[in-house]
Amino acid sequence: MAEDGPTPLERFLRGILPENPVYRQLLGMCPTLAVTNGMREAMTMAGAVTFVLLCANILISLIRHLLKPHLRILVFTLTIAAFVTIADRFLAAFLPEMSQKLGPYVPLIIVNCIIICRCEVCASKQSLPAAVGDAVGQSIGFALALASIATVREVLGSGSWFGLELLPESIWPRWGIMLLPPGAFLTLGLLLGGANRLSSWRSAKRAPQTSQG
Amino acid sequence: MEHLAELILIAVGAAVITNFVLTYFVGICPFIGVSRRVDMAFGMGCAVTFVISIAALLSWTVTWFILRQGAPLTTWIVRSVTGDASARPDLTILSYIVYIFVIASSVQLVEMYVRKFHPPLYKSFGVYLPLITTNCAILFACLKILSYVTDPKELWGLDKALVLAIFGGVGFTMAIVIMAGIREELDHCDVPKSLRGAAITLIVAGILAMAFMGFAGVDASLHDAMLPAKAPAATQPAESQKTAEARAPGPLALRQTDRQR
Amino acid sequence: MKNSYIGQAWLVLALSVSFGAALAGVETWLRPTIEANKLAATIRWIPRIVPGADARRSARAAPIVVTVGTGRNETPYDVFRALDYQGGQIGWVVRASGKGFADKIEVLIGLDARAETITGLSILDQKETPGLGNKIEKMGDKKHKGFLWQFRYHHPRAGRPLVVTTASPRKGEAGGANKIRAVAGATISSKSVCSIINEALSRPLREKLIAALATTTRKGPRRD
Repeated sequence: MAEDGPTPLERFLRGILPENPVYRQLLGMCPTLAVTNGMREAMTMAGAVTFVLLCANILISLIRHLLKPHLRILVFTLTIAAFVTIADRFLAAFLPEMSQKLGPYVPLIIVNCIIICRCEVCASKQSLPAAVGDAVGQSIGFALALASIATVREVLGSGSWFGLELLPESIWPRWGIMLLPPGAFLTLGLLLGGANRLSSWRSAKRAPQTSQG
Repeated sequence: MEHLAELILIAVGAAVITNFVLTYFVGICPFIGVSRRVDMAFGMGCAVTFVISIAALLSWTVTWFILRQGAPLTTWIVRSVTGDASARPDLTILSYIVYIFVIASSVQLVEMYVRKFHPPLYKSFGVYLPLITTNCAILFACLKILSYVTDPKELWGLDKALVLAIFGGVGFTMAIVIMAGIREELDHCDVPKSLRGAAITLIVAGILAMAFMGFAGVDASLHDAMLPAKAPAATQPAESQKTAEARAPGPLALRQTDRQR
Repeated sequence: MKNSYIGQAWLVLALSVSFGAALAGVETWLRPTIEANKLAATIRWIPRIVPGADARRSARAAPIVVTVGTGRNETPYDVFRALDYQGGQIGWVVRASGKGFADKIEVLIGLDARAETITGLSILDQKETPGLGNKIEKMGDKKHKGFLWQFRYHHPRAGRPLVVTTASPRKGEAGGANKIRAVAGATISSKSVCSIINEALSRPLREKLIAALATTTRKGPRRD
């Protein structure tokens, strides 16, 4: 069967920055705001999302010819829910501290728009290599987005990074607000504005060459 | 009266003090996407409240009777099939899958109802109605109910679960309508180009969250005011403990003066 | 159209059955580990809140559930025996929880064997305000005493309610051990912790603990 759509490498590269799930597609905001008050929690969440996205994409891509239009969302949801349950149990068994900190946000991966969107847009239409490339690319993009927000919040809020103290209390007073909900909203809003500014500046630089089409 | 006070505390907590959107970060996608105009925002809020109530009702029923450890229906089935009278089956591993099915069915039910009885409303919703399935707030409410039903100290009944769900939806509606009102005003302002859209909405949401933080601790004081002081610590000093033990343990005396402000 | 619906349903059914089986397998494999983690999270605190207790010995003693109150007000408490390295019981550890300023606070209260004195306190779970309320977790040292220091070294009596003050109790004051100094700027969090302890260490609970002590086979209550 002729392969239509972007190649696996294109899917992979697109997912990291150009089609970044948080900064470009504005998906998956709930965990982005909730778990980014520390790098460790953020990276654990990114790992869980990577596992679920990869497994779901692989499975959906393998059974894509059996999917009928009416029931496909149901199949996606069922698959994602099963893998999220597995990920949640694994976290509770092998990383109990992180599991307690992440709390209800691990099962909320089920309704994370990123995964359903990738299943719908890519995995159900393309073969296994493209689905895998897409999953890995989007996961790296998600992890980068989480890392950017978590770094700002953790350094300003607790003076540490990944739990290691960087700024002792004598140098930097802790901005407690950064660890609380308002800090999450403000950080993401300002970083999103910064990302928009960056991309419009870059497309303005490229504008003189686009006259060729 | 004590039970009513508990319900009021849960309601106020879910709607205002720990608002689902501004404290728990659930329901952000429609909060950013649908909050352009007040009437659309209010419609979305009502739809979400409707769906969350039905989903809570169904998920509490399934959790209580089927999923939790020692649930009546599953225990009866397992005991009659295996003959083991002390079996206590636990099906909570299936809870996420069951909940997402319950939510999808609730959204279908609401969609059918709205299409039949309010066709113009159905048209104005468009694609947003089925998208309520992916609204984190509904699954979050079901998960909270699960945690309170399986906690042996809480063991929430249907009344508390429904109150949590309905007032969680009310809180979501409040937040999204406030945001819509602010955004309608922002349309007349000169927002920098890179901040337009989601970025300025998030910054405004941050300031709103700060405002709502002012409610923190209100429930602790409401709790003290409404519920009788449950301070059963013995009031006799330790020296006369022997005489106290000799007396039959009766109902515990409540000494209000012991709980100083 | 109806045919295709039924035809498509087989895929959903097949997936449901296989996922159900996979999840049952994962649950059977991981459940013991998860239960052990939950227990370990509590047991590792025991040596720190009951001086002289041995974590491994205490882990092998089964926790008991003490139910206080009747009917609607029935509240179960998880109670662990604190054993020394010879297996003698030297104290109790009661797990209690309640509402704090922000969300639920879960605590472990260390008691001596006769449930008369509080030997220590640890905070298992809290979501209080960072920088203010979350200082209830701090033990501190002799120079800068934290909130938990008072429970470990001032020996409050379990028979009397704990009272929160914002002034330091004067040395030698009668009943001064039961006056707990609040964390600066976090009076409500401190009060919540104390009312959780007061509610948990009710007379019925302590009487049941004394009764349970009498039924242990190796009695070796040591005064600490």
